[in-house]
Amino acid sequence: MSSTDVVSAAAAPAAAPRKSPAEFVTTTIGSHVVVKLHSGIEYHGRLTCLDGYMNIVLEDTHEVADGRVTNKYGDAFVRGNNVLYIAKSSP
Amino acid sequence: MATVPQMLPLELIDKCIGSRLWVIMKSEKEFTGTLVGFDDFVNMVLEDVTEFTKTPTGFTTTKLSQILLNGNNIVMVAEYVQRVK
Repeated sequence: MSSTDVVSAAAAPAAAPRKSPAEFVTTTIGSHVVVKLHSGIEYHGRLTCLDGYMNIVLEDTHEVADGRVTNKYGDAFVRGNNVLYIAKSSP
Repeated sequence: MATVPQMLPLELIDKCIGSRLWVIMKSEKEFTGTLVGFDDFVNMVLEDVTEFTKTPTGFTTTKLSQILLNGNNIVMVAEYVQRVK
């Protein structure tokens, strides 16, 4: 008999928004994002544009590796195959 | 012969919209978050996300707001059940 209680998350399904990633893109363009690559390197900057392959263009980018800022770029293009995730963030 | 009601995988994920999920990647990384939505490639939009990276001790990074997670390296998606001691 385990003493741990298991609380399950309440499921509240909304209407199927199959275009959620497309919505995410339109609402994040212009705002600050963190783009994390498979390698673990992060790019913090303003999202200019994004395409279906997750190719990304950022403005005022700085590159963070191991928690330290390693580089600063004015404009940066990130090839989509490297992208792990895009997270909304604040400057 | 009784017919088994068919539930497609994407249908199952669709039912999880709004729930907290546990997403396991090909690499030593996992994410938990509330599912906002997904697309046919199972790229997922998650909210209130915690990113877990496996290290000898178990290192976590917490993210707020939303992330778009690349579906390319997602291995498994499960309902996240929180254990309370």
